[in-house]
Amino acid sequence: MADGIISIVAQMGFPSIDPLLGLLALVGLIVGAIVIVVVIRPLLDIFPYAYPNARVRARTGKILTEKQLTEIIESNDLTEVTNYLRGLPDYAKYIDQYPLEKALDTHLADNYETLTKIVPKDIKPIFSVLLQKWDIRNIKSIIAAKEADLSREETVNLIVPFGELKDSLDKLLDAKNITEIINGLEGTAYAHVLDEALPAYQKTGMVLPLEASLDKFFLENLLTAASNPSDESARALHSYIGTQIDAANLSIILRAKAEGLMYDDIQPYIISDGYQIREWKLKDLMESESVGNVVSSLDGTEYAQILTDALPEYTKTGSVAPLEAALDEKVRQTAKALSVKIPFGIGPIVGFLSKKEKEIRNLKVITRAKREIGFSNSKIKELLV
Amino acid sequence: MVLEIGAALVAIGAGVAIGFAGLGSGLGQGIAAAGGVGAVAEDKGMFAQGLIFAVLAETQAIYGLLIAILLMLGAGLIGGTPKPISVAAGLAAVGAGAAIGFAGLGSGIGQGITGASSVGAVVEDKDMFAQGLIFAVLSETQAIYGLLVAILIMLGASLLGA
Repeated sequence: MADGIISIVAQMGFPSIDPLLGLLALVGLIVGAIVIVVVIRPLLDIFPYAYPNARVRARTGKILTEKQLTEIIESNDLTEVTNYLRGLPDYAKYIDQYPLEKALDTHLADNYETLTKIVPKDIKPIFSVLLQKWDIRNIKSIIAAKEADLSREETVNLIVPFGELKDSLDKLLDAKNITEIINGLEGTAYAHVLDEALPAYQKTGMVLPLEASLDKFFLENLLTAASNPSDESARALHSYIGTQIDAANLSIILRAKAEGLMYDDIQPYIISDGYQIREWKLKDLMESESVGNVVSSLDGTEYAQILTDALPEYTKTGSVAPLEAALDEKVRQTAKALSVKIPFGIGPIVGFLSKKEKEIRNLKVITRAKREIGFSNSKIKELLV
Repeated sequence: MVLEIGAALVAIGAGVAIGFAGLGSGLGQGIAAAGGVGAVAEDKGMFAQGLIFAVLAETQAIYGLLIAILLMLGAGLIGGTPKPISVAAGLAAVGAGAAIGFAGLGSGIGQGITGASSVGAVVEDKDMFAQGLIFAVLSETQAIYGLLVAILIMLGASLLGA
């Protein structure tokens, strides 16, 4: 037996068995190294999400259930709604600190800020841009408050204490007019954005051009931040954000068409890069004659069917709300699909954000409805998403 | 003391056994523990459950350690003077080490991923603990197969209790 092995080794050109074993050990080491690289590479994508996903799933578990939402709807008044939310640890600290609507927004903003801190570094820049949402919201609130001649205290109640500008909002609160607000924003990108929209505001006397330019700036930044996806999770986040941007563009076009506006009226508000609906298609849509034409021009896109389904309701009521609701639902469905498709990556985070946004939206609907006298619970349920 | 080729191969087998099994176990445990830490950061009551899911991936390293020690004992590398081990038996030892090493690597990582996912499910819904545990334990079977085959190889090559 031993002689046989020695003769085989000799036939292979080795003087003894030692160098052959050495070679085998080397080959083994190389194979082992390849196995390790092949096995570990996918883990590099999974590992950074283990911690944030566990935290996010804990928060997902605290999203209000249907039963809880029904109990809130059945509250007799706003005080009962407030007390109900005070009983939920996640909301309690904000409810005790702020008026109800501000508490809801602050809770949502706090979630965004926490996510920005804990998400993997590859997607952190996208979440940093997402935080600009609160700066823009605050600037819009201050502009609207100035227009409505609200007091400083009333304006403060509209401010959400998050975003990069949170420590420098005093200057804006003390501003007497839009120009002073823009001056107060000197040194930030928002000053430039508002400056460009100022002539349109001065011409029309409406704040819409100012608000729309801020929204456009935010969404364009978001799309740019998400436009170089490095892995599956970043690609998924890009598709979620892209769907939101398509929905925002379509919403603007549908509203404009319902009001009979033409290309030049709409174009300044559109995010021209789009996502699935790219620049040339957006141009087509803006040049369409009517809402119906916009919907039929979308054939072949993911938005065609959902808008076609909602079209009869628009025809019946003349309101674009059902079409906008269909687009919002499409964004939520995209988030839901991603949360299932990428359970070890960005999926749970996107799913949570979508659910949390929906929860806050519904709570705001309930809050506003409870302020009205004679607003029935069944009507509130109809308004929920 | 001069180490013969056979004994050196047994040492490689032992290294492969604990090296790869420990790698899989460590990676798996790291992933599960990261999930556990996230869960505890949100809910302090999750410490025990998080720990259980993180500890699960430890077993693969234990199996690797067991085979490594048995190989070294069999070859007299610990607890005595090295025994004369034939080249064929040495190669069998490498095979035994590879069996538990690679099985432990895959099993440990798989268990860690499932563990992290289960921690997430439990912190979202406390009733998911038993189901999560069952899913996480499933990956253990591959390591047990590796352990079994490693022991059978060692028995066949007279490395166990030789």
